[in-house]
Amino acid sequence: MKREMHITVNGDEYHLLVDTQRTLLEVIRDQIGLTGTKNGCGAGECGACTVLVDGRPVNSCLMLALEADGQEVLTIEGLARGDVLHPIQRAFVESGAIQCGFCTPGMVLSTKALLDRNPDPTREEILQSLRGNLCRCTGYVKIIDAVNAAKGMLAEVGSTWTRA
Amino acid sequence: MDARVIDRAGPVSVSDVPVIERDAPVIERDTARRETRVVRQGVPRIDAIPKVSGEAEYTLDRKMPGMLIGKILRSPHAHARITSIDTSAARALKGVRAVITADDVPDNLFSFYQWLADKNILCMKKVRYVGDEVAAVAAVDEDTAEEALSLIKVEYEPLPAVFTIDEALRPDAPLVHDDKESNATWSVQRLFGDPDAAFAACDYVVEGTYVTHQVAHCCPEVSNCIARWDKKDRLTIWTNAQAPHTQRQEVARVLGIPQRNVRIINSYMGGGFGARLVMDMKLPIAAVLSRITGRPARIVNTRSEEFSTAKARYPYSLHLKTGATKDGRILARDLKLIGDAGAYHDKGPATVNFSSMMFGTLYDVPNVRFDGQLVYTNKEMGTAFRGFGNPQVTFATESQLDELAAKMGMDPLELRLRNANRPGVTTSVGAEVCGCAMTECMLAAAEGIEWERKRSEKRPLRGVGLANMVHTGGGGRFYGYNSAEAFIKLSDEGTVTLITSALDMGQGAHTAMAQIVAEELGVRLSDINVLSNDTDLTPYDLGSWGSRASFMNGNAVLAAARDAKRALVEAAAEMLEADADDIVIEDSRVWVQGSEEGHELTEIVDHAVNQHGSPISGTGRFVDKLPEGYTIPTAFAKNIPCFAFGTQAAEVEIDEETGQVTVLKVVAAHETGTTINQTMAEGQIEGAVAQGIGFALMEELVYDNGRVVNDRFLDYKIPNIGDMPEIRAICVESVGTDGPFGAKGIGEPGLVPTAPAIANAIYDAIGVRFHELPITRERVLEALREWRAET
Repeated sequence: MKREMHITVNGDEYHLLVDTQRTLLEVIRDQIGLTGTKNGCGAGECGACTVLVDGRPVNSCLMLALEADGQEVLTIEGLARGDVLHPIQRAFVESGAIQCGFCTPGMVLSTKALLDRNPDPTREEILQSLRGNLCRCTGYVKIIDAVNAAKGMLAEVGSTWTRA
Repeated sequence: MDARVIDRAGPVSVSDVPVIERDAPVIERDTARRETRVVRQGVPRIDAIPKVSGEAEYTLDRKMPGMLIGKILRSPHAHARITSIDTSAARALKGVRAVITADDVPDNLFSFYQWLADKNILCMKKVRYVGDEVAAVAAVDEDTAEEALSLIKVEYEPLPAVFTIDEALRPDAPLVHDDKESNATWSVQRLFGDPDAAFAACDYVVEGTYVTHQVAHCCPEVSNCIARWDKKDRLTIWTNAQAPHTQRQEVARVLGIPQRNVRIINSYMGGGFGARLVMDMKLPIAAVLSRITGRPARIVNTRSEEFSTAKARYPYSLHLKTGATKDGRILARDLKLIGDAGAYHDKGPATVNFSSMMFGTLYDVPNVRFDGQLVYTNKEMGTAFRGFGNPQVTFATESQLDELAAKMGMDPLELRLRNANRPGVTTSVGAEVCGCAMTECMLAAAEGIEWERKRSEKRPLRGVGLANMVHTGGGGRFYGYNSAEAFIKLSDEGTVTLITSALDMGQGAHTAMAQIVAEELGVRLSDINVLSNDTDLTPYDLGSWGSRASFMNGNAVLAAARDAKRALVEAAAEMLEADADDIVIEDSRVWVQGSEEGHELTEIVDHAVNQHGSPISGTGRFVDKLPEGYTIPTAFAKNIPCFAFGTQAAEVEIDEETGQVTVLKVVAAHETGTTINQTMAEGQIEGAVAQGIGFALMEELVYDNGRVVNDRFLDYKIPNIGDMPEIRAICVESVGTDGPFGAKGIGEPGLVPTAPAIANAIYDAIGVRFHELPITRERVLEALREWRAET
């Protein structure tokens, strides 16, 4: 069965006819065609598919697309301002926090959700917030470095960094 | 080889291609430490921005017009005879385009070593593990494909199965492969010196059995492919492959088609760790589905399939004996090892063989015996996995060295220092130890963990331990050759295209290659594009495994950059009317020595192309010359072009109540020769340590009657960000390696010594020696109970 839905993804409005069983992840990747959001396990256990729905981090593989009807979704493609990377993205690049890159979009968005609500997290708070995002390549050392670097960068640019 | 290379002087045969040979290294050892501008800098990866912005396209992200979705019907039995398959209902389902069984595919057998071939594309008469491929479908969408699978009726006659090495080796054990005499399928023996006489002469001998377990790679991107068999009879496969050229041969072999008709295209890869080295059967299955339907066919593992069928690390049972004199010189070692292959050979023989080489090389022991055997069981098969049989062996050898030290009353660090390999030595087993910083690694790790203070402090339930390792730092000569080739071309706008076969599965090979070009050619890193993803484009190559890319591909890339540089300098000298020796090229700018006037590199290339019709390019090849008298069966340690040593020290704390082992800190000092990229090298070490911690304490594929029961991340725990200790990665540079700028590979070493370092730290903390991995809470609690009962 299909139903209509409205969804805003990265500022763009979509009016879609969606199978009621489809997850938000499937709709983002297959219907809207934004493949930056990754499917790592399909069961909400790895965090690769993390997107922000009305600012909250969710495993988009666990959320039915229709549950996001009328809401605003931010995926990794919506974070940079044109060619200018978001400070969190820049921090991941400069800290060497990226290897294969498959967990990166989810990791970056979980970081954004954390820093949006807590601009100055402690190490423990960082660990707590990113526990759901698995990475097999980095050993997380440089990911923690990146979150700390992003924290500093965001403190400098303050709230002036918003999407165009 | 019929390829011809077009040079500026006109066509030349490949014999004129600049070749770097190991006995005539172009890189002078004294220049290994020369001032560098790009190499030895921790610059950000060249693929970081596409990855962080969601732009990077992985194979999973590709779509193709008309693409069908394929699914594989897998065996639910660990061991059974197939009595009948009825596909009629599946075929009749709307939207199904093909249903195939063994009748529809070539009946060729396949294995990594063709002479040990033992696996059909789809099972013919028998299934040998839960997950074995029985049939496949292609349908218009995933839901239809899944429904079609459920409509295929297979009747099985279940057979008794073997799940452990012991079960498999019983005289009356059921045979996993009926045509074999027993489940013991392959073996290798090595003997150096006279171990029996040497043991008799030793003051101390320790002996014990060690057991390692089956762990999964857990690549973030599951194994997947798209196959398109086109109207010109050409098969193109998009997949995540660490060795696309050898997989191309493998696909052709099992399908019985000419290799020239197969092309493999890679994309960004979500991890490899060895899992993407040998062809997965989904490649020929998707190919056949595409041939039958005339449409591209995609097959993607579910995460559950990935855990239970994407192959895993070989579990080993090791019986080890070590003997030393009273002053701590190790005189003899004897290892009897049995590897659990699972249902098919795959990389088992190569893995056991490599284990023997690392066993024989870690220390220069004059008397060494190795007896390695591989055994079939009805389980998921093994394959290459970061470290390639070395972490298993090193767990045994480095645990036992601490047992020996305890028996002798000697500090374990001191015992290791007394037996350290030294640079420039050919060891008793024939290993040519080139650059070697083993002692430096030990001292760095010991200092980092504050060895002396913490060993003497003896805080309750806290301990420190360390372990050494050796690994190849440049692939191997196992094929009877080891070589690499690279091409460079400059556009008339000055950008550089590097064509190399170094695959980047996340380890950063593309960035390392680009740094080498930037350094040698004098161009900006941002001006370099790396192409490596297409077997039609890239030179034949054995692939990115065995910590091979930096050393092998890196040397070929360096030679190509030299070749291009020569042409560039000639063109600049001509244009600027200067002596070639006076031309300086740096950061994509060109000037004549002593002159103030600089030029953009583009001006030179533009002049060469548009004034003289002479584009600038370079070709390079690196041939790792085989040692005198080399033969594959006898080469043993001479298979390794360069050794990389390392030491890890761990500090742990044990919770008496729960048995929880908390790793507080790991100091990982690894030899890099020259560190091409400090940030990336640290990243390799840190990531490998995380996998090593998983291997030591957390991870294990658990079976119930042959079925993997923990086939999801919820049940199969890999380290998450909260599980990680402080990791200090130390890159120890050394001279004497023929890698580019003196570099060695660093991809695998980091997880080799982690488990024994942790086991040795646990012994230091609670006096309990664990001979079996993983060291779970249950095992720790049980050991503590026994220990309390005894004291």
